[in-house]
Amino acid sequence: MTALPADQTPKGFAKRVLRPRGATFDPIFGFLCGAAATLLLAALTGVMISLAIGGWPAFAKFGPAFITSTRWNPSPDVVGGEFYGGAGPIVGTLITAFVSLILSLPIAIGVAVFLTEFCPRILRRPIGIAVELLAGVPSIVYGMWGLFVFAPLFAQLVETPVASWTPPPFMADFWNNIIIGDMVPNGSGILSASIILAIMILPFMAATLRELFLTVPAKVRESAYGVGCTPLEVVMSVTLPYVRRSAIGAVMLGLGRALGETMAVTFIIGNAHIFPKGVFAGGSTIASTIANEFAEATTPLHTAALIALGFVLFIITFVVLAIARALLGAQRQA
Amino acid sequence: MTVVEPVETYEYFTEDVPNAKLETKKLDFFYGKNKALYGIDIGFKRNAVTALMGPSGCGKSTLLRALNRIYALYPGQHAEGEILLDGENILDRNQDLGALRAKVGMVFQQPTPFPMSIYDNVAFGVRLYEKLSKADLDNRVEESLRRSALWTEVKDKLQTSGLGLSGGQQQRLCVARGVAVRPEVLLLDEPASALDPISTAKLEETIVELKADITIVIVTHNLQQAARVSDNAAFMYLGRLIEFAKTDRLFDNPKARRTADYITGRFG
Repeated sequence: MTALPADQTPKGFAKRVLRPRGATFDPIFGFLCGAAATLLLAALTGVMISLAIGGWPAFAKFGPAFITSTRWNPSPDVVGGEFYGGAGPIVGTLITAFVSLILSLPIAIGVAVFLTEFCPRILRRPIGIAVELLAGVPSIVYGMWGLFVFAPLFAQLVETPVASWTPPPFMADFWNNIIIGDMVPNGSGILSASIILAIMILPFMAATLRELFLTVPAKVRESAYGVGCTPLEVVMSVTLPYVRRSAIGAVMLGLGRALGETMAVTFIIGNAHIFPKGVFAGGSTIASTIANEFAEATTPLHTAALIALGFVLFIITFVVLAIARALLGAQRQA
Repeated sequence: MTVVEPVETYEYFTEDVPNAKLETKKLDFFYGKNKALYGIDIGFKRNAVTALMGPSGCGKSTLLRALNRIYALYPGQHAEGEILLDGENILDRNQDLGALRAKVGMVFQQPTPFPMSIYDNVAFGVRLYEKLSKADLDNRVEESLRRSALWTEVKDKLQTSGLGLSGGQQQRLCVARGVAVRPEVLLLDEPASALDPISTAKLEETIVELKADITIVIVTHNLQQAARVSDNAAFMYLGRLIEFAKTDRLFDNPKARRTADYITGRFG
């Protein structure tokens, strides 16, 4: 073997500089991604600021009463003039969202468990696709279905019997004030809206939960079956705890959708500008109020009040997500 | 012209195990239409360790997964023939799978702690089948963790999550979980392949201790490990049982050429 002279390095070896083919594009790629993220942040901040500014006249004029008062009077001719207190829609929003969540969550879990643990393989795909299709149905369709199909049935099969039932004396107060309130048995109201909302967010949550359940490693499930678990025990002790963090996220997204849902609720909640007087009574939500009144808001103050309501909805959603984050954080440490 | 199907011929040497705790008779196994095991006849000696060896894809894990019917979770997989646990065929249609798996426990290649505390991981299977007082359950958890050589490392943090342990500790936690239900048979599927040498040594000690009252079947790629821990050893190839004998005999004096090739490292 002969050594090469010092000045004679093998051709194309020492001077070879490796440069990935994508190197030129890399900085541009990074910049584009950064720009996309910045744009999102800017949009979020922009929406928030413009809502705050647009709603400011209402906040400034009514102060805390805008949140706490139930008086909503857009007419300047009535005694006392224009007055906007949003407690009715705000509480209506919270109640319908949470009731719908309570109604739909157990069913969503049931659907997801069935699809991952019990469903015969041949039905798995059709049912899975059906769930995803349901999640994609536009909300106005749910609203129309709620008004034209669900409401008459609900009035006939539930509200009429409920109205004629006389509660035993010990619960008469509770029944008449909290449950019935000033119900008009026409199928619309807080509960009807909650049920429609529940039907709307159910497929979304079921589809998400199913995807989550599928992320549980096969070996972990096999281990649980391996110590003698039944499917129910596997779901309760292993699958659900395994996905609970992400599951809370999925539920919160469903809740977010329920909070902001407009059309379906507007159709069926009864649109009464009052503090809800019972589970069966009529009411309103922030979104339905805005949808109903925006076209008729003739005075600047009325418009400002509606924008201010939008700002409140923004904050509520924000708080819900923050609470979800906090819950997740608390679990991470446990 | 008639097509003559090639007949698989192979030499095989197996030994009978009298009074076996668990044995298979003419066991065939199918993944859908693919046949993975061909007429396996093997006996697993009571309170002893039997090692299953062979190159990847030889069917050793498949055989293991047949022994507690964990394969039944997946539609399309099925076994034919007989698997006798104390003389009773567990392939019977009306076999209660939960009860079977409580008797025939399993530990996997990757640690699979459940998302709960160390204590609850171990108590998990026990709670399914027995109603113990708090004190008895505490004792059972301690006993199981001691047997899996994990107790001294975790005794002060039983209420912390099992997911926070190291890989080796998690695997011994899974052994403890498997042991806690007092199984009669324990199936180990390459339990040490993800572990460092020290954890492996501890796990092997555990296996040797456990065989005092548990029949153990272990699948392993590690020949030294098989030689160290097992009483009997089986060599499998392409879904067939090639050689089955006392471990010493199999390693010192393999009778089948394929076995000899494998244990001397000529293939596999």
